[in-house]
Amino acid sequence: MSGELFAFLVLALLAILGGILMLNLTKVIHMLLSLVLTFLAIAGLYVLLSAEFVAIAQVLIYSGAITIIMIFGIMLTRHNDTQKTKGNRTRNMVVGAGVVLFFFTMYFSINQVSFGDQATSLHVENTKQIGIELYSKYIIPFELMSVVLLVSLVGAIILAKRDDEEEAEQK
Amino acid sequence: MLENAWLIPLFPLLSFLLLLFFGKQWKEMSSHVGIGFTGVSFLLSVIVLFTQMANGSGGAEMVWLTIGQLEFRFGVVVTPLNALMLVIVSLVSFLVHIYSKGYMHSDERLTTFYSYLGLFTFAMLALVISPNLLQLYIFWELVGVGSFLLIGFYFYKEEAKAAAKKAFIMTRIGDVGLLIGMILLFWQVGSLEFNDIFTAVGGGEVPEGLLTLIAILIFVGAVGKSGQFPLHTWLPDAMEGPTPVSALIHAATMVAAGVYLVAALFPVFEASPAAMTVVAVVGGFTAIFAATIGLVQTDIKRVLAYSTVSQLGYMMMALGAAGYVAGVFHLMTHAFFKALLFLAAGSVIHAVHNQNIEKMGGLWTKMRITGPVFLIGTLAISGVPLFSGFFSKDEILLATWYDGRYGLFIIGLVAAFFTAFYMFRLFFMVFTGEHRSEVTEVRESPRSMTIPMVVLAFLAAFSGYINTPWFGTFLGDWLAGDSEFLPFEHHEGPVWVMMAASLIAFAGIGLAYLIYYKKSLQRDFLSSHMPATYTLVFNKYFIDEFYQYTVEYAARAVGYLGSFIEKYIVEVIVAAVSGVTRAAGSLGSKLQSGQVQTYGAIAFIGLAILVFLVVWTGGYL
Amino acid sequence: MSAIPVNAYLLLALVLFCIGLFGALTKKNTVIVLISIELMLNAVNINLVAFSKYGINPGITGQIFSLFTITVAAAEAAVGLAILIALYRNRSTVQIDEMNTMKH
Repeated sequence: MSGELFAFLVLALLAILGGILMLNLTKVIHMLLSLVLTFLAIAGLYVLLSAEFVAIAQVLIYSGAITIIMIFGIMLTRHNDTQKTKGNRTRNMVVGAGVVLFFFTMYFSINQVSFGDQATSLHVENTKQIGIELYSKYIIPFELMSVVLLVSLVGAIILAKRDDEEEAEQK
Repeated sequence: MLENAWLIPLFPLLSFLLLLFFGKQWKEMSSHVGIGFTGVSFLLSVIVLFTQMANGSGGAEMVWLTIGQLEFRFGVVVTPLNALMLVIVSLVSFLVHIYSKGYMHSDERLTTFYSYLGLFTFAMLALVISPNLLQLYIFWELVGVGSFLLIGFYFYKEEAKAAAKKAFIMTRIGDVGLLIGMILLFWQVGSLEFNDIFTAVGGGEVPEGLLTLIAILIFVGAVGKSGQFPLHTWLPDAMEGPTPVSALIHAATMVAAGVYLVAALFPVFEASPAAMTVVAVVGGFTAIFAATIGLVQTDIKRVLAYSTVSQLGYMMMALGAAGYVAGVFHLMTHAFFKALLFLAAGSVIHAVHNQNIEKMGGLWTKMRITGPVFLIGTLAISGVPLFSGFFSKDEILLATWYDGRYGLFIIGLVAAFFTAFYMFRLFFMVFTGEHRSEVTEVRESPRSMTIPMVVLAFLAAFSGYINTPWFGTFLGDWLAGDSEFLPFEHHEGPVWVMMAASLIAFAGIGLAYLIYYKKSLQRDFLSSHMPATYTLVFNKYFIDEFYQYTVEYAARAVGYLGSFIEKYIVEVIVAAVSGVTRAAGSLGSKLQSGQVQTYGAIAFIGLAILVFLVVWTGGYL
Repeated sequence: MSAIPVNAYLLLALVLFCIGLFGALTKKNTVIVLISIELMLNAVNINLVAFSKYGINPGITGQIFSLFTITVAAAEAAVGLAILIALYRNRSTVQIDEMNTMKH
């Protein structure tokens, strides 16, 4: 067993464990934290796949920013909230059956996938490669993405603020 | 004038529509409206008749439908037969309109009655001037509707309702025959125009066997409409309608439509000897069969109804024996004297409020007009010399004699005897003897009722003189002379036929006189000596019961089977379909919970199944 | 060179995707639903990055795509949270099964 395979197995198990914990824990905040584990494990997998920059971005954005936003969300709403009753059992069963069906269908397809070569030069100056590509070939999507981020920023502020104004008007 | 003959049926239609829309306001006035419009029709008919006599046949046609090469036309045609029928129908209808003013004056639905009369008159007049079979068939059915409405006029009476339905269904059975005959004829000839049909038949274009079938099927239609055996049972029941209706529809006009149909299509029948035999035999059998039933009935209108059936059989017999003129002649005289008899019977009923002849009697002195006119009608129908019925009946007997149908000739004589007997039985029981009615103050009917009767009595007495062996055969020459399709030869009859017919009539009258006036013979002679026969005849040979036990129960069994299938198979399927739909609907509405996750779950499961199927089938859906 | 086949990464991504899907469709708390969707996006990212190394046309493009995805996910999380806050102010709940105004 090579070191790479070992690392993969450990990281994969951690990722799945995080996901399963998320499904089974009761406190909302715990669920969120278990998912942080998953995100970090995924970042490790990116490193294995010669994508160091993406791994760093993953840690920064997911494990950092998004999780923090979500925690804020929880804190601003009902921070002690726990998952109440399981709710609609029938629907859970049906959805579960659907998921299982989906899983095996896809598994069947994945099993047959077999590609030939693998890229070997990705880890060489990974960040520089990404930078060159982004600013040459993908410059327009990149700029568009900045617009998307700006719009979502403005939109989020407006959505969160409008009620305040209405309340102020009501008062 | 002949091309404007279409105006004639238009006036009764106008009367019908006006009364339908404004009748509620006009009330009593509506009878004048009906009488007025029908009177105009009658005048026009007379003008058309004389124009036809002076200028020969004519008409007008328009193209109605064009289907490929085929043209369906509608229009009017005035032949001698049609002109004669126009006058008969419009005259009797006009008189009945007047009569009804007195007879129906106390009825709340007088307006409705007059509008129905208008509808019927319109249909009947249009029927007799149709230039093709399709148009004839349309009005043929419309006449049936008018008859249905008028029989069921007292719809609150169970019997009237049942009689109306019975009449409609029984005639409908015949109509199906007519329709099939028409379709076959169209298939063979490619046209429904009378002239095209006659040309094709005359040219031998239609195979012999098929022609016989067509003729017999058309005759079935006539059997239904004219109350011939075995579809005659509706006609006596139709007497549940108001008496003027019986006079108009079930004596003079509509039931004669069957005879008219056979007469109008006479060349078709003539081309097939077998069909002629069928017509003659059915007619002859009906004539004697109905006459025997008429011997024992006690309801005044039913006696007349069976007499009508019997006389219609006579006409059919004449037509079947190639006696075209005889049949039409008798149709005309019969229309007058039978309408007269019905109107007189209505007058009697109006006076004593009863239809049972056992409860009448001695009315001669009290009804100074009704009595004599009834007597004239009775003399005419009995074939007493010098009255109209004598000449037409004589003509029929001659026709059968010359056609070589001696059996039918004998039947005709016997039926004539029976006719004379039961008609005078009726007369003696109603007008002579002691007063048996519960109504003590019997009054003569109002003038609006007596005047039509007097007019008809005049016609019943003298209309026979237009075709006699003594003063010339004017009617016969005129009827047959115009058409190239009608071979006509007049028979100079042996005098003994006329003598025999007269003797037979007097014998019947004499027997009736002895039994019912002098009482020198026992009345219950027949019922006491041959009770079985009496019961059989009194119950009309159990024809109704026979239909009850065969046709009706068979139909009922089919109905039960159908309702069983309906209840346990069709309804279960329907319930299953509706249940599944309902369940799917309620499931669907439950899914519309507004919860995003449910929607997402459904969408996802659908996607999962699709993906699964794609993978399962290897990507080839 | 590597003993790890591409199938392994794809399988892992599939498992995570299914977990995320199940969570998104069954969890009651809106925050968890949002984060489950993030998990599904992550699973997709694993695929993209794996293909960038082991795919038919290996190259840096896969990684760039995953970066775009991460960016969109971040924006989505921000807007989603803003909506959540607004909803909470209006209805004082974050339970997703109590948000059924789409029914009306």
